[in-house]
Amino acid sequence: MPLKWVLHWQPNAGTTVSSQILSEVSQCVESINGVKEGRWRATLTFYKPHTREQLMAAEFPRDFLGILLPEQPNKYYFIIRGQRIVLEADSSIQTLMEKLQSYKTRVALHFDGFQYQLGDFQLRVGKVVPTHSENLRGIVMEVEYLPISSVEKAKQIMEEFLDIWREAISKRSLPGHFMHMEPNFVEYGLTDHYTSQHTAVQYATVMAQLIATVQAVQSVRN
Amino acid sequence: MECVVQGIIETQYVEALEILLQGLCGVHKERLRIHEICLKSGPNLGVVASEVRLLCDLEQPESTWTVRHIGGAMRGAGAEQISVLVRTMVESKVSKNALRLFYALGYKLDHELLRVGFAFHFQRGAQITVTVSSVNKMLKLHATDEAVPVTPGIQLVEVTAPASAENYNEVVAAVSSFCEYLAPLLHLSKPGISTGVVPTAAAAAASLMSDGGGTPL
Repeated sequence: MPLKWVLHWQPNAGTTVSSQILSEVSQCVESINGVKEGRWRATLTFYKPHTREQLMAAEFPRDFLGILLPEQPNKYYFIIRGQRIVLEADSSIQTLMEKLQSYKTRVALHFDGFQYQLGDFQLRVGKVVPTHSENLRGIVMEVEYLPISSVEKAKQIMEEFLDIWREAISKRSLPGHFMHMEPNFVEYGLTDHYTSQHTAVQYATVMAQLIATVQAVQSVRN
Repeated sequence: MECVVQGIIETQYVEALEILLQGLCGVHKERLRIHEICLKSGPNLGVVASEVRLLCDLEQPESTWTVRHIGGAMRGAGAEQISVLVRTMVESKVSKNALRLFYALGYKLDHELLRVGFAFHFQRGAQITVTVSSVNKMLKLHATDEAVPVTPGIQLVEVTAPASAENYNEVVAAVSSFCEYLAPLLHLSKPGISTGVVPTAAAAAASLMSDGGGTPL
C-alpha cells in the first residue's frame, strides 16, 4: 500500500481555522496543478465507557476511538492512543460493540473534502466537522506517494514535496501552517511496510493535536 | 444470527462419525485447533455485564483471530417449539492485538479453552458447519501446548448455520433435517439441554466402520 502522511492545519496563536483558509488551501493545490478527482470522507468516533455511575468512568481509557477510512470500506480501526494499541477489524465490529453496550459514542467527526492527483502524489484536503454540524474544527491534508510503500524510504521525497507545498502556501500569507507529526509506528507494533493501520494511527495523532489546540485556545480565553 | 444444536459423542465413535459426515457432506474435513479466550466485562463496566470471545485459529500458518459475541436466544412460544436454538451472533475478523485491546477496555479473562478436532462446511438447504472437537483446558495461562481434556473420552459435536430474521425458519428446517441423519450416532439438541450419548451409537459405529464408508446414505 502506498505510503501516506496525514497533516493538520496548525493555526497561529490567537487565530482559529476558518472556511476561508480551507478555500485558500484548496486553491493552492490547484495552483500547483493538482487535478481535482472527487470527494472523500473519513469518520472518526470517540467512545466513552458506559458505567452505572459517572465516577466509575475514570478507570477506563478516555482516548478509545474508532475510524472508518474511505479506502477500506469493509474495515474498521480501533485505537487506544495512550496505550499504543491499534486494531484492524471487519466493519461488523461496530455492531459487535453496540451489542456489548460497554462503550457508546461520545462524539463523531467527519473528515470531508476533495481528492487531487498531482503526478505520483495523491492529495486529499478535508475539513474536520462534527457529524450533523457544519462547525469547522480543523483542516487535514493527506499526502500519498503512490510508488513507495516503505515508511523510511519515502521520507526524503515526502520532505521534498512538503518543501514545495509549504513554499506555495506561504505565498498566501495564511495565519498558520500544516504540521506533520509522525507517530512512532514501532510502538504500535507496526512495521516499515505501510498499511491502513498506519493511517488510522496518524489520524488518532492528528486528533490529539486538534484537541490540544482547541484546549489551548479555551485556556487563553479563560 | 445463527442456528445451533449440540450433542456429545464418545471419542471411540468419532472415526465412524467422520465417515458418516464425509458421506453426507461430500467435502473434505478441515482440521480444527482453536484457542478460545472468553472475556467478561469488569465489575464497573457497562450497566449489564457483557461477554466476548476471542478465537485464535492455530491451524493456520500464521494465527488468525476472530472476535465473537453471542447474544440472547430467540424467545417465545414459537421458539420453544423448535428443536434448534436461534440466537444473535456477531463476529469480526481482527488483527492480532484484540486481546490487548479488550484488556485495555476493561475486559477480564473469564476462562479459556482449546478445541481440537475437525469441521465440515457444506451447503444443504443452508450453509451448515459441523464441528467435532475435544474441549481442553489449559493448566497454565495461554499454554495451548499443555492442554488436557475437560471430559476425557467425550467429544462435543456442534452444528451451526448462519441465519437472518427473514430466513431462520428455512435454516432451522435444514439443520433439523440434517441432524436426523446423525441420529443413529448421536442426539443433537439445543445447547444447555443435555441428552447424553445414544444407545445405538455402538452398533451404528460398527456398521459404519465395517462398511468402510463406501455407501453414502
